[in-house]
Amino acid sequence: MNMKTLGNLIINGVGSSNGGSFEKVELNGKGTVNSDIECERFHCNGTGTIHGNVKTEKGKISGAAKIHGAVKAESLVINGSAVISEAVSCQKLEVAGRTSIGSSVKCDVIAVNGKVTIEGDCEAEVFRAEGTFSVDGLLNAETIDIKLFGDSKAKEIGGRKIKVTQHRETLFKLIKSIFPLKLEADLIEGDDIELEGTAALVVRGRNVKIGKNCKIGLVEYSGDYECAPDSEVKEYRLI
Amino acid sequence: MSDELISKKEVLDLTGISYGQLYRWKRKSLIPEDWFVRKSTFTGQETFFPKEKILERVDKIQKMKDSLSLDELADLFSLNSSNLKLTKESLITKGIASEPVMNIFFETQGEFNEFNYHETLKLYILSILLESGNIHIEEGKMLLQLLNDHQSILQQPKAVICFIRKLGMSSCLISINGEQVLLEKGTKVAATLSIEHCTEELKSKLV
Repeated sequence: MNMKTLGNLIINGVGSSNGGSFEKVELNGKGTVNSDIECERFHCNGTGTIHGNVKTEKGKISGAAKIHGAVKAESLVINGSAVISEAVSCQKLEVAGRTSIGSSVKCDVIAVNGKVTIEGDCEAEVFRAEGTFSVDGLLNAETIDIKLFGDSKAKEIGGRKIKVTQHRETLFKLIKSIFPLKLEADLIEGDDIELEGTAALVVRGRNVKIGKNCKIGLVEYSGDYECAPDSEVKEYRLI
Repeated sequence: MSDELISKKEVLDLTGISYGQLYRWKRKSLIPEDWFVRKSTFTGQETFFPKEKILERVDKIQKMKDSLSLDELADLFSLNSSNLKLTKESLITKGIASEPVMNIFFETQGEFNEFNYHETLKLYILSILLESGNIHIEEGKMLLQLLNDHQSILQQPKAVICFIRKLGMSSCLISINGEQVLLEKGTKVAATLSIEHCTEELKSKLV
């Protein structure tokens, strides 16, 4: 352990500083940090801009943050809005606000309650989404649990257990009958797959269960196969 | 090296692994990103792999996954095992180099007792080439000099070491991306060796 005591960087109001190593970094007004920062705790409550990479144990973004660099954290919670231009890697990532990440994401656990846009690949052991997400590359996780609340998409999805369910809320039923919620993907591959409200070109897996409101081009399975009557599967075959 | 490709489905059929396992190994970087070759087929895009490499890798993972954790395996397959420290005796018992090769190595590198990863790899490369009989001792020293001057190429899996000879004169060179080297008529290639091949072999010997 580093026994040296580190200082804090706190910007209240408008201010800018250079980066460095700190114990605590807090941006409360409109703070700008002009280089890389390394700290134990990182809080951004106002509008923060960081021109560099952020490495922290505990990060929390409650305001609007723009990070022109990569983020490495033990845990990262985003409640406001965040724009991160490069890769994110952390143990635990929680997004309740809106986040867009310009590169790939590598985490142990990802929980999405808001809206996430990832321009690269997304890798996790557990990926849970109750919001909207879009992954331009491959979404790869051991367990993928998606509750659809808005239109989501991923180019490819791969994992062991993949489960997609449609949210059931009577209040929004009318709106949803006009704009049904859906998940779009080119390819879904996994061991156990359960889908609802999904449009995919190809689904491959051992046990595949197609629920309601799906539109699938081709299903290839090696174990069990089930399909709800109101779903459209163009072709399916046992391999 | 053959460029034959194999589709993901065939890999699963041949090896009996599941999609979940394949994706997990990919996440743990047990299978390098650049082996995933995307090609369009009549069903849309499909992923292909270099056939020999992927089958060999899957076979290795399946054999070793009971004794090692996936993270340890990832360390093994990645090209820079950082915290490796080996003694001269253990290298000899593991069959990485013989006593005479070790002495030649010490002549140029100076004597030391703990080998880190880079020194071990250099020693192993020297050992392969000398034992094969394709190069002689002086050339071996030349090789070590070359590797010392360009240590970073040990991290480049695609790099290939070549020995050439003409009219009794010899020289060695490294091609960083392993591209073809064109030679003048009277020149002969005495030996070629790819770094990736060495690292893989070395790692399987170290386990």
